[in-house]
Amino acid sequence: MKKNQSSNTNSTMITRPIARFFPVFLLPITIAFLIGFVYPFIKGLYLSFCSFTTTSDAEFIGIGNYIKAFHDATFVHAFGFTSLYTVVSLALVNVLAFFLAFLLTQGIKGTNIFRTVFFMPNLIGGIVLGYIWSMIFDGILSRYGTSILLETKYGFWGLIILMCWQQIGYMMIIYIAGIQSIPEDMMEAARIDGASKMQTLFRVTLPNLMPSVTICLFLSLTNGFKLFDQNLALTGGQPFNWQADGTVVKTTEMLALNIFNTFYGQSSTARGVAQAKAVLFFVLVAAISLIQLSATKNKEVQQ
Amino acid sequence: MKKKLISALLCVSMVAATLVGCGNTSDQGSTTETTETTETTEATDGGEEVAAPSAEGGSVYWLNFKPEADEALQQIAADYTAETGVEVKVVTAASGNYESTLTAEMDKSNAPTLFVVGNQAAVKTWGKYCLDLKGTDVYNELTTDDFTLYDADGKACSIGYCYESFGIITNTKLLGEAGYSLDDITDFDSLKAVADDIHARADELGFDAFTSSGMDDSSSWRFSGHLANMPLYYEAKEDNWTECPAEIKGTYLDLYKNIWDLYITDSAVDPATLATGGYDAEAEFKDGKAVFFQNGTWEYGALSESWADEDLAMIPIYCGAEGEENAALCSGTENCWAVNVNASEADQKATLDFMYWLVTSEKGTQMMMEQFGEIPYKNAAENSNVFFQYAAKYIEEGKYTVEWTFNYTPNVNDWRAGLVAAMNQYDAGGSWDNVVTAFTAGWAQQYKAANE
Amino acid sequence: MKSKKKTKAGLLSGMIVLIICAVVWVLPILLVFMNSFKQNTFVKTDTFGLPAGESAAGLANYIKGVTFGDYPFGKSVTYSVTITILSTILILLFASMAAWYIVRVNNKFCKIMYYVFVFSMVVPFQMVMFTLAKTADTLKLNTPFTIPIIYLGFGAGLAVFMFTGFIKGLPLEIEEAAAIDGCNPLATFFMVVLPMLKPTMISVGILEIMWIWNDYLLPYLVLDRTEYMTIPIHIQYLQGSYGTVDLGAIMALITLSIIPVIIFYLTCQKYIIKGVAAGAVKG
Repeated sequence: MKKNQSSNTNSTMITRPIARFFPVFLLPITIAFLIGFVYPFIKGLYLSFCSFTTTSDAEFIGIGNYIKAFHDATFVHAFGFTSLYTVVSLALVNVLAFFLAFLLTQGIKGTNIFRTVFFMPNLIGGIVLGYIWSMIFDGILSRYGTSILLETKYGFWGLIILMCWQQIGYMMIIYIAGIQSIPEDMMEAARIDGASKMQTLFRVTLPNLMPSVTICLFLSLTNGFKLFDQNLALTGGQPFNWQADGTVVKTTEMLALNIFNTFYGQSSTARGVAQAKAVLFFVLVAAISLIQLSATKNKEVQQ
Repeated sequence: MKKKLISALLCVSMVAATLVGCGNTSDQGSTTETTETTETTEATDGGEEVAAPSAEGGSVYWLNFKPEADEALQQIAADYTAETGVEVKVVTAASGNYESTLTAEMDKSNAPTLFVVGNQAAVKTWGKYCLDLKGTDVYNELTTDDFTLYDADGKACSIGYCYESFGIITNTKLLGEAGYSLDDITDFDSLKAVADDIHARADELGFDAFTSSGMDDSSSWRFSGHLANMPLYYEAKEDNWTECPAEIKGTYLDLYKNIWDLYITDSAVDPATLATGGYDAEAEFKDGKAVFFQNGTWEYGALSESWADEDLAMIPIYCGAEGEENAALCSGTENCWAVNVNASEADQKATLDFMYWLVTSEKGTQMMMEQFGEIPYKNAAENSNVFFQYAAKYIEEGKYTVEWTFNYTPNVNDWRAGLVAAMNQYDAGGSWDNVVTAFTAGWAQQYKAANE
Repeated sequence: MKSKKKTKAGLLSGMIVLIICAVVWVLPILLVFMNSFKQNTFVKTDTFGLPAGESAAGLANYIKGVTFGDYPFGKSVTYSVTITILSTILILLFASMAAWYIVRVNNKFCKIMYYVFVFSMVVPFQMVMFTLAKTADTLKLNTPFTIPIIYLGFGAGLAVFMFTGFIKGLPLEIEEAAAIDGCNPLATFFMVVLPMLKPTMISVGILEIMWIWNDYLLPYLVLDRTEYMTIPIHIQYLQGSYGTVDLGAIMALITLSIIPVIIFYLTCQKYIIKGVAAGAVKG
């Protein structure tokens, strides 16, 4: 592709005058970026090694926070729960999204209307989604004398259903874009060769769709790990359970919510631990994302 | 260092100059401000000449933790501003979110100047953010030191601004319709007999015994907090607690089970649906749908809209403890004001003035009485709250006050949240053992978490 | 689409599946709408019934919801709109300028900046949220009119990344011609480059709008709580406040908050769906 060539051969005639306009072009966003990201990020790293009641009175204490974070049963549980949740939602969302995308590219009438309907939940915020589904689940479960707040498995599947409802439309759009970008003559050739529908699907469609699949998988992965609003609004971590040593575990509390709750709990000793957890969380999410970036690099995926 | 020294010197000279005696503990904040503020008083709108030194330029930010009092506080803040020109901002934390809101807000440049530090655990966390209130004007108005919270160094971190009583609010009119009177209820057995009978005849009577015991955030504190005080109180009494114990035994959890079973059985609501809540117990009581409603003196304002004083009573929470026929209501407070030591001196002064006004002026004391009940200050307004009359009546009869032992609870929100979850499981048919575990093991764990 | 060869039966069954799915997808929103007209207690006990007779509340929930407590819902809506519009404009403008600069100048500093921007895309909000709240407060970026600067900073990564990808593919000749005609870089950017960026502008704009409009945690932590709420904050606040929770009123507010979103979606859905497909690289 001609893409890289133009940026490599920027003529000095063009470059020099632009470079002088640094204060106009690059400076504003750089300042905002320093305020909104760089400084909080560095300060956050530092605070993970501190003990503090508010972020203004931090006192350096070393790696104690990290040790506590690793020994925190609620954090370990949140990690396990989040991982399981992410894997299950990833599988369900992607299979269903692909299925819908496949149906919608078969030339059925009203494709646009269906696409519009399936995508719609994406525009609704996590908090609102949480309350919508909380009403629905409790409307059903209260007939059986129970509630989504009473059983971990209800909370788990509740979150999964919510996530499917919200995310399938999004992934479906990406799959549709992927399917539509498969050259028509390739499908035609398969048909002429007498390939069955199944064969076409597995031999032609899917292999050509790998870039879209990669994107969707990683998107689901990070979405799952980073889930917060929906978790807060739907279950808030309920129900709670006790381990033998008396530790209370909020059984449906995911990583992001666990970090939040640790920080804003009553115990001021826990704030540094919360920040340490946040750093660990960052490392985890960054690792997943970086694998994604390298996996999708140089792959033409858009449209 | 230098700056500190200079300001200290300045303070000393000003104290000398203005000759404002402050007892032994010279409260630098309030005295230094005096001179500065009198200058600026003229500059701003010169309504009436205010005799007391007001803190112009300073403003008050009250982080309130009682959602039910929000409306009245907004009103009184507006009134105070209209009267003195001092800006008063009241922010109410959503219920169950006071601690997190405080944490977030204290980190800001516009931090609350007036906030609530209601128990020893809070003193531990926030003590260093508290101004020593000893010797301030508002402190000198106190009638008792019972509700003042001190830190380890003897600093008066927070002072009680009211005390409250809770028990079982009873609709005597409906009770009469059911064929009973207050005299029929003297202990748990008699309470149960009456409640069971009313519940059995609910269809015929048109009302039930107890209001719903919803366990959502807006209502669960009545049980995980207030009701849980019963077993805690009796255990503390037996074991002579003087500070938060690292572990508790749960000796009297049977009492807790007794009364909880009664609440959820003799009520119109299916226990399994309590977890999600959505009920409005106050409205049920107001509509005359139930005779009993466990809540506190602060409910008087709302309930008196629907019922005459003679129809309302408050009886002790009887739960089957030995000798409980001699129990009075549960009285105490977790409402203690603290002033932010990091606030500017003008703001501190403004805040102290505002507090002083609340407990001395006619308007202020009236509002305090209506919203918070009895206030431990010399100029407290005459209290028309019928529930306090009951509180006083029991004391006069020589009965013992059930103190607010729950103020010892470590990491109170987490502990209560755990208890609520366990009770929800129980309501849905789970084992009571969960509640016992949440109560005792949960306590030990939260103690550990708070004290490591 | 060459679907004529497909069997009719296959198409029909596909259609049936889709219709069932579509009903499932629309149902929750219909339920919210229905329940917003019910009395509080019936929302939970009779979630799936139509509001009728005793359960019907008319517009009472809406009236109560809008005037609930001491904070009118209209204020939250105004702030949500303000924040979303200002932030999106700011991001679109400055990120596209930065991206153009980075691609065209392409010196060492630009490369470093580019990688830092890309890096910021993978940092979860939890990592910076505690300190960001404090920073924003110190710099008075805690009002609806200044918080866009925070959004610009925290949201810069994705926008710069997407713009850069697009600008790299733009032909240089047009800009050279403009330069020869005596355009300074500012004029070149606004007269020549910006119009060419329109499709990416729409993609990025849609993604940012969807993010900022629905964002809960950032404004919750950053905004001055004594003055400002956004719609998500308002709804979350009602859930745990004012004594008792009125589910009917909450459903009314949810309905009110969804309606503009649906209208926005239906009018711009072509762009939104395109934008999503294009923005799929988002981390």
